[in-house]
Amino acid sequence: MATTIPLFASFKYADSLTVVGISFCTALVCEAISWILIYRTSSYKSLKYSIDKATKKLETMKTENPSSKLSIKKSKTKKIDRVETSLKESSRDLSLFKFKSGAVVALVLFVVFGLLNSLFEGKVVAKLPFHPITIVKKMSHRGLKGDDPTDCSMAFLYLLCSISIRTNLQKFLGFSPPRGAAGAGGLFPMPDPKTN
Amino acid sequence: MKEGKSSKSSSQQEQHEQIYHQNSHLGSFNFAKLFDSEASWDKDQLGDVLHWIRQVVGLLCGLLWGAIPLVGGIWLLLFLAISSGIVYGYYALVLKIDEEDFGGHAALLQDGLFASLSLFLLAWILVYSLSSF
Repeated sequence: MATTIPLFASFKYADSLTVVGISFCTALVCEAISWILIYRTSSYKSLKYSIDKATKKLETMKTENPSSKLSIKKSKTKKIDRVETSLKESSRDLSLFKFKSGAVVALVLFVVFGLLNSLFEGKVVAKLPFHPITIVKKMSHRGLKGDDPTDCSMAFLYLLCSISIRTNLQKFLGFSPPRGAAGAGGLFPMPDPKTN
Repeated sequence: MKEGKSSKSSSQQEQHEQIYHQNSHLGSFNFAKLFDSEASWDKDQLGDVLHWIRQVVGLLCGLLWGAIPLVGGIWLLLFLAISSGIVYGYYALVLKIDEEDFGGHAALLQDGLFASLSLFLLAWILVYSLSSF
């Protein structure tokens, strides 16, 4: 703590800014890893394109005026089935892509969590402006002594950072999965981006 | 009226496809469209707009709640009501969108909700911790 910037030293809970800063850097590292392993590859790009295309085609076909002719209806249904099948296959492939980088990202997150845990174990890094319910308290009071339920541990702050910063960073960079893929059910369910 | 709208939608769809190929993800967005109740939206674009509205509201409310400061779980519920009200008011009253075309009210209202809640809590806790102690 000798290296603490004097400006922040006056804040009792300056550690919270450290946690947020480290979380932000971690999010950038994770997205860089994802970009290297997935998003820059041409196979991912073509996969994403085919998913977008199939999704739009599906929406167009479903919202068209219903035809009165039975034969045309059957033909249309067959086309819809074909597009849906194609969408499912592409979604499954995308899931496998995600899984590949997910392991690396999970490792990074785990290491960073361990680092923060060693730095701030048993330390109150922030104060909650509300009394947490029991299920939240288990996380927010993790590793802390004392009776004050409004004490906030590093773990809870890190969780909030992970969800808010990483999700929005992915959105901003355009790395979030195509909506069509997220909506379609494949053989393997789409991994939740927030937990990657 | 129905046919006119459909024709316009088809035309804009085609135009959007063309722009999509020529520009990057962010560059293709037209900000004037944000307040045009006649514009047609595809699911991705509307979802993105509602997502970012939620994030901005979450951040602003978090900073405000923390700075005053407001204390107690009731303010968390108030934030949820406010941000949902803003999102609903935007797509239902400003854009005049038929929600059934986009998966219903639930789909539109839940876009970005969890990230927004986390961002709100993060901002609230940080500002409260740093300014009140």
